[in-house]
Amino acid sequence: MILPALLLIPFLYIILAILIKSKKVKTWLSFAFSLINLGFAIWVMAQVFEAGMIKTQMGSWPAPFGITLVADRFSAFMLLVSALVFAVVTLYSIQSVDTARIKNGYFLFAHGILMGVNGSFLAGDLFNLYVWFEVMLMGSFILISFGGERAQLEGAIKYLILNLISSFFFVAGIGILYGKMGTLNMADLSQKIAQSGDVLSQLSPAMVLIVVGFAIKGALFPFFFWLPASYHTPPPAVTALFAGLLTKVGIYSLIRIYTLFLYHSTSFWNPVVLWIGILSMVIGVFSASSQYDFRKILSFHIISQLGYVVIGLAFYTVAGLAAAIFFLGHNMISKTNAFLVAGWVHRERQTLNLKVLGDMFKKNTLWGVLFFISAFSLAGLPPLSGFIGKYLVIKAGIESGHINVALVALFVGFFTLFSMVKIWIEVFWKNTPPEVEAPVNTKPLPHGLMISASIILALAIVGMGVFAGPVVNFCEMAASDLLNTELYINFVLK
Amino acid sequence: MRNIILEKIVKLFLNVMLIFSVYLLFRGHNNPGGGFIAGIIAATGFIFYAIIFGTESVKKMIGLSSRKWMGLGLLVVLITAILPVFFSKAVLTSLWVPGDFPLLGALHIGTPLLFDSGVFLVVSGMILTIVISIMEVLEWN
Repeated sequence: MILPALLLIPFLYIILAILIKSKKVKTWLSFAFSLINLGFAIWVMAQVFEAGMIKTQMGSWPAPFGITLVADRFSAFMLLVSALVFAVVTLYSIQSVDTARIKNGYFLFAHGILMGVNGSFLAGDLFNLYVWFEVMLMGSFILISFGGERAQLEGAIKYLILNLISSFFFVAGIGILYGKMGTLNMADLSQKIAQSGDVLSQLSPAMVLIVVGFAIKGALFPFFFWLPASYHTPPPAVTALFAGLLTKVGIYSLIRIYTLFLYHSTSFWNPVVLWIGILSMVIGVFSASSQYDFRKILSFHIISQLGYVVIGLAFYTVAGLAAAIFFLGHNMISKTNAFLVAGWVHRERQTLNLKVLGDMFKKNTLWGVLFFISAFSLAGLPPLSGFIGKYLVIKAGIESGHINVALVALFVGFFTLFSMVKIWIEVFWKNTPPEVEAPVNTKPLPHGLMISASIILALAIVGMGVFAGPVVNFCEMAASDLLNTELYINFVLK
Repeated sequence: MRNIILEKIVKLFLNVMLIFSVYLLFRGHNNPGGGFIAGIIAATGFIFYAIIFGTESVKKMIGLSSRKWMGLGLLVVLITAILPVFFSKAVLTSLWVPGDFPLLGALHIGTPLLFDSGVFLVVSGMILTIVISIMEVLEWN
């Protein structure tokens, strides 16, 4: 019964935001609703922790025919982390986003994204997943083009066209799949594929289309170019929200279909996924080190970090999948926090070009520390969450016999450290270059809510690193559930 | 320039289209029709009216702003979705009012009709919002 609530809460906020006129009421209601959503995510987590999996059949139609919402441990973990990220970004946006955008429904569309993200994590059939992808994309199209600045429109068009193409691939794949198998319920499909043995070779076209769709959404190696071209244009709060939630849904879906369908023909898919992961890691990190824009560096690092998740998936052991799940959660939190700090720098200096920035550590030490925590968590320094994530991925790689991949991951880690140190030195450490005139406005702008938002995420990063034991245990349970496909099928269909 | 024939015809057209849209709304669920197409037809009637009499007169006619109608429609949809929960059924399950009515005879009334009415309001509100905004930008009055 509680699973539909995660969809209806953002929906209720959207209705209220249309009906209520007062900007102030809308703003605070938005924060209240994000907290209610977080509360429900915790409740789902508590129930899943007890029961393992929960499901709801929408409209009382039984499983292979109706729409099923399923939450297993993996979904519950993703729901919880994304609810946390969303609540924090909402708090941050109250102060950071300009009045004109808030007045025109910034929070309304943000809740649209939340609804799509929650729906994607809960969807039990492929077409429903596609529908939630579309809901999420509608919100994000509007948020990314909102405000109509010149650079923003350029980024928005790239984002829009590439994501529409990806949706097109995805729905074409679904069409072929439905024509061949006559069902779209993921559990039912998985069961039918398992029973009919040889059928997966006929389904390869559909699967390739679907995987390409997810790879575009998740900004993986050959299809990542839209992400760095668009993420540096909207207001920083929007980028933080996108970086925290959107690409991760693509990766979540990839893990879901890999563990349900693609594992039947490992000989074809395993190398493909492994190489996509390795190349995303390496190319993302190299492109990042040549950039001189705060947000562009971080955007390229999203690609590189998602590569870690994908190689974790490609190892296809309990340890590998657990590492992938942990890394996904860590990345959502750390990346969002890095973008939040970028938002503060942008607010103070109106630019994110590393060459003209400097002295930010002197300006506000606390923000410097917050950036230090998130950036060095991304780079993988102990005791932060990134260290545990990378350690788990590399350990899983060595254990499953992919020593070379593990070495590449280590090597990429050094370059991540290089980029993060570069941002740290250029933005926070060095003196403002003398040829740049010192900013006239030395009085700091109000940033109380922004900094509290960032502190919450920084505490989560440190917490995930220091108390990693229970989280890793939970991720391992989630991973063994994912590997035990029978469990999922039986639970959904019976 | 006023054109009496056009004005009379448009008023007639609006009435016909509204009646037809209600007919389609009730026809839905079992026959071709339903909230979406009914909403489009109702909105088309109002758009014809706006072309001849200007957007202000349509705004006056529909009372609330078209955005509000959209919100109300969504609210009706939400209520339909969560109503079954109070009868301890899953979200979005259809509920039916049982029995015969004294004058009307056997009727089949249930939440799908409510859902369709919500869709009707959302669709007509949305189309009117889009078209009225465009007409105002182009100063079509």
